[in-house]
Amino acid sequence: MRLATLIAVEAAAFLLIIGETYFFFAFVVPVGSIPHNPWTYTGYALVKVLLTLGLGVLWFLVVLGMTRRYVTSKLRSLTPRPSS
Amino acid sequence: MVAGLAVAGLLSLSFLAPFLLILVCMPLFLKFLVRRGRVSDDVHKKPPTKVPEPVGPMLFLAALLGELIVAVGFGSLVPVAIIIGIAAAFAVGLADDLYVLGGKTKPLLLLLAGLAFVGLVGLRSNLYQPVITFPLLGDTNPHFFIYTVLAVVAFPVVANAFNMMDSFNGEISWFTLLTSLALLFGVCLREAFTSGYSVARVAVVLPLVAVAAAFLVFNRYPARAFDGDSGALMFGAMFAGLAVTGGVEIAAMIAIVPAILNSFYTLSSVRGFVERRKMGLRPTYLGEDGKLHASTERDSPSTLVRLILLEGPLSERDVVRNIIALTVVACILSGAISILTWVL
Repeated sequence: MRLATLIAVEAAAFLLIIGETYFFFAFVVPVGSIPHNPWTYTGYALVKVLLTLGLGVLWFLVVLGMTRRYVTSKLRSLTPRPSS
Repeated sequence: MVAGLAVAGLLSLSFLAPFLLILVCMPLFLKFLVRRGRVSDDVHKKPPTKVPEPVGPMLFLAALLGELIVAVGFGSLVPVAIIIGIAAAFAVGLADDLYVLGGKTKPLLLLLAGLAFVGLVGLRSNLYQPVITFPLLGDTNPHFFIYTVLAVVAFPVVANAFNMMDSFNGEISWFTLLTSLALLFGVCLREAFTSGYSVARVAVVLPLVAVAAAFLVFNRYPARAFDGDSGALMFGAMFAGLAVTGGVEIAAMIAIVPAILNSFYTLSSVRGFVERRKMGLRPTYLGEDGKLHASTERDSPSTLVRLILLEGPLSERDVVRNIIALTVVACILSGAISILTWVL
């Protein structure tokens, strides 16, 4: 079936969007209160930025990884192999 | 009873007025565009046919009419926010249709649509709720600042994602119609199962459904009209604004997953915002058999259409059918999320 792989990628993207958005709003955004020490505040901000980037990279790696595998396998089957 | 009838009448009017405006006036507008020489090659035909472009101004007028009816009829500021957002996106799109903006200029200018939209929060603080509601898990805590930043960024992201789904006859009109129906379903469920949720937030979605449905009549294969960037960016900005005001962000994101994947594939393979006319390698090509083929060049941009065509060449009509099938799957997932969020 032509769309099977793409539907699988779509489903993975769907699950990641829900899971990561929940993780972002439930755990990343509330990290730390607003303390008086500016260094602590900067530390919390850095942790938030790193966690957010981590979520983005995870989505990127999963979706791109699935797609790359699909494209590479298809291109290999489309390219004629030299006869030995 | 009378109030219920009045609401039903207003809901009907907010759908029918933009729908009929396009059906009646579009043929005249198409003749006007042809007289002015505003026609583009339909490059996926052999030989290429000439199609009037852009009909974005007609689509914008229809959406404007529908939202004005909702604004006056329900006395709500929500459609005014939508109008401001789509007017900014439409202006950027029209400038691109007439003068061709750079690949990076367009998304930056589209940030103005998001800024104009959230600017209205100063007038009405409950324009949107800064919380995300998750299926089964419920609401997050309110986070006004981060939610507002994400709402502003959503405009260029979603508008560009819609614009990238505008390559084939009927693609953008089918995609907008299906995703707007998924959005409407989510908003209706929220209205039905949440206390204190205004019916005006349902009514503001209807003009988008109406405009997409009426445009489909002229845009489906073989297309008699192209929307141009002015139409596609307006559709995307309207969708983003309605998802935010309707409070159905998750369901809306899921419905447009095919567009998100398509833009993600394109941006990651061409490594940045590149105007499509300036792309070196093409993702697909039209073969001598009149069918679309995937480019076998390893470095060609991996668009959604190229991935579909890697299984074998297809006619333009079948390519669009496959994209519609992917969109239907996404919309079914979106509907399931809406049910899990608002009903259970």
